[in-house]
Formats: sequence, structure tokens, C-alpha cells
Amino acid sequence: MSDISMWFAFAFVLIALFLSTWQKLGMGKEIVIGTVRCTVQLLAIGYVLQFIFHSDSYLFVALFVIMMVTVASWNASRRGAQLKGIFWRILLSFGLTAVATIGSMVAVGLVTPTPQYLIPMSGMVIGTSMIVCGLYISQMNRETETARGEIEALLALGASSRQAIQGTLRRAVKASMIPTFDTMKTIGLVQLPGMMTGMIIAGASPIDAVRYQILTMLTFSSAAAISAVMISLLSYRLWFTNDSMLRQDAE
Amino acid sequence: MTSTLLLEGLGKQIQPPDGPWLFRDLQATITEPTIISILGKSGQGKSTLLRILGRLTLPSCGIMVLDNKDCSQWTPEAWRMTVSYVAQQPMMLPGSVTENLQAASNLHQRIFDVKQARQWMEQIGLDHLDWEKPAQQLSGGEKQRLALIRTLLLRPAILLLDEVTSSLDAVSKQATEGLLRDLHGRMGTTILWVTHDQEEARTTSQRVWFMANGQLLEDTDSQTFFDSPESDEAKMFLSTHPVVAEAAERVR
Repeated sequence: MSDISMWFAFAFVLIALFLSTWQKLGMGKEIVIGTVRCTVQLLAIGYVLQFIFHSDSYLFVALFVIMMVTVASWNASRRGAQLKGIFWRILLSFGLTAVATIGSMVAVGLVTPTPQYLIPMSGMVIGTSMIVCGLYISQMNRETETARGEIEALLALGASSRQAIQGTLRRAVKASMIPTFDTMKTIGLVQLPGMMTGMIIAGASPIDAVRYQILTMLTFSSAAAISAVMISLLSYRLWFTNDSMLRQDAE
Repeated sequence: MTSTLLLEGLGKQIQPPDGPWLFRDLQATITEPTIISILGKSGQGKSTLLRILGRLTLPSCGIMVLDNKDCSQWTPEAWRMTVSYVAQQPMMLPGSVTENLQAASNLHQRIFDVKQARQWMEQIGLDHLDWEKPAQQLSGGEKQRLALIRTLLLRPAILLLDEVTSSLDAVSKQATEGLLRDLHGRMGTTILWVTHDQEEARTTSQRVWFMANGQLLEDTDSQTFFDSPESDEAKMFLSTHPVVAEAAERVR
């Protein structure tokens, strides 16, 4: 793609801006900020990736993955701002999910351990985990409120916090994983995933592109399961006080 | 089965640090099996007090000592198995009547005393109930009684009951009161009972805690309370319930 045609792409933003102004949607600021951030972030990451690929150093790969895990953890933890220490728990579960999934793919020779594979695959795995974790936290916040009576009835019968929240936890974990598996069911029929589309546009054969897509989708399923189960085990106590009382929202 | 409970300077503040106090400086001692009715107008913190005693709500200040051990020395689980709270809104656990009855034994890996469960169900007027029925489908009154028996099967030394007869008809209510009196008599269970039914308080309890003005205003035996209450608040409280006042008059 030439530089000039790249600039033409911004015409799409002008269309969005025009529609926003015409229909008085008041989205102008959002559109401009979104455009600038998207362009700057992607360009910057493009140069950083190029540098890392050329350097062929695992140190840089590791640093890059750590950066992705940190940003994803920060993003997911915002939904549980009232939960002290949730960030570190998410960080740990994302880190372990990435190591477990990417590690086993490398171990069985599904991907070659070069920055070109490690970084995009880690990004996709961490991205999936981020969505799953965010959903889990919102779901738990909602569920602990709706099931407060049930949880407290169990506590009053002398249940441990783990026993009391078991049912709620199971429902939240399940709900957080559903979108990942729903996507798996309709993929290719409803949407053509970005990675596959990208490979096809870049000149790869559709069959090659599809094979990689299948690999990533299968990886997503285990990433979703590992991160959801891990974060649930690491975090359920945060909804309780030290006295194993269910926290009120305000507390 | 006899447990002693000591409460010292117990208080609950709404929205600390500057909010008003629901109640404060609450002192009380229970040294022998007793049935205590907790009376007072709505909003005096009676239910909150029960929840604090059942360690489901944190007090803002004060000390609770159970069997000569401060509450911090008890695990919350062990405390709640000894001092057990039954909520006003009966919350059924997912599953059948059986699963609800077995909840305590399943949680603590004990053998389910089916004979005892059946006997109590019968005594409380639930002998007709199909145990395989989903508990959610029971009526309000059935749920309330099932929740009570579910807790009784835990065999706590102190029972905290929050208006547990509020959805019951007169017959079931009498049966439930009978069961609780029986339990107290045979097993020495101490019962702390929040109720708005003064007749129930008068006939069932030996002692009354009367809460008003953010305090435990009176802690006395129930006959004294109903015959000659000390505080103006208690006199006013009793006089607003003419049925009971008349009943008391008849007794006199």
C-alpha cells in the first residue's frame, strides 16, 4: 500500500465526521480522538515490531509480551476497581495463560519460536483473556448482588466463603466463556476473522490462512478456559471481608 | 449445649465516620439457655443486631465474646455454626426440599439425621410436603418453616430468628412456637427472637430486649416488661398495641 493511498484512508473518517455533524450526534471529538489514537498507536507498534523482528532477541519479545499483559490487566481490572489487589491477580492469570498456551504450541511445534509468531499469537491469546476476565468481573459483581440471599444463607449455615460462593462462581465463569465459544460456532459463516483476512490480503492462500485461524481459535478456547478458571480461583475471596462476610458495594 | 454470650459496647453506625448511629453502647450477657424477644419499633436496628450477632454484618464497635472466647478467636464458620441466623426472607438453596434439608450435613460432611428432620417437619405442619419438590416452588410460609428446620439441623447453641413466623397462619405459627419452646426445653437452645408480634413475645419468651433511641433501653424478664415497663418509650410502645395491652390486662 502506497503512502498516498494510506492518506486517502482518512477520507473514511471524514465521512464519519460529516455524518456526525449532519445528524448532530455530537461524536466529533470521539471520532477525532479515536482516529488519532488508533493511527499513532498502530504506527508506533509497527515500528517497534519491526525493530524487534530485526533484532531477533527474546529479551525484547519478553518485554513486549509483558507490556501487553500489563495493559490488558489494567484494562480488565478497571471493572473491579472496588476489589483490592484484583490487578495483580489478573496479571498473574494472564501471564500464566500466555505461557501455558503459547508454550505448549511451541513445545509441540505448532508455531516456530520467532518474534514474528510469538508476539501476534500472544497478543491474540491475551486479548481473549482480557475479554473473558472483564466479563467475569462484571458478572461476579452482578451475581454476588442477585445471589446475596443465597450466599448469606449458606454462610449462616457455617459454609466457608468458597462453599458459599461456589454456585455464583460457576455461573460467572460460564457466562464469561460463552462469547468465546459462541464466536467459534459462527466463525467463517458470519464473520471472517481479522487474522485470516489479513493473511489473505497479504497474499497467503486461503487454505493456509484458514489453518492458522483454526489454530488460533482452538488456542482461544483454552486461553478462555484457563484465564477464567484461574482468575475465579485467585479472586473469589475479594468479594468477602476478612471475616468472610459478603462485602456491601460501599465497603 | 449451653453457650454464654457477652456483648460489650456493641454499636452500628450508618455510613461511618460521620453518619448517625443505628444503636450504640449495647451491653448484654446471656449465661444460661433463654428465650429472648427483641422488641422495638421498626428501624431500631433489631435485624442488624441479629446479623451482627450471626457475623453476617460487621459492627462499627464493640466486643462479642462467645463461651469465654473473643469473636476474633473463633473462625467465622465455627461461630456461625454455634450462633446461627435465620433470615426474615427465607432463601431457598437451589434444588429440592431434601437438598435444602441436607444443606448443613453436606457442608460439614455430617450424616443427615433424616429421622429428626422428618419429626421436626411433622411437628411444624410440613408432613404433607413432597421432599422431591423444588424448594423454590414452596409457598412463603412453607419456605419460612423449611429454612428454620434447615438451620435447626445444624444444632446451633444459639438461634437468631428474624421474624421467622411473619408469613405463617395462626396454626402454623403456634406449631412453630411450640417447636422452638420444645427445643429450648429439651436441648437448652438459647433463642434470640426479633418479632413484631407482642403476643408471641409475651407467651414465648422469658426475657425481653427492648430497643429504642439507638439503645438497648430495657433488658428484663418478659413479665416485668409487659406488666410494668420502666421507660416511657416502652410504655408508649406497648400502648400502641391495644390487643396485647388488653391481653396483659386479662392476665393481671
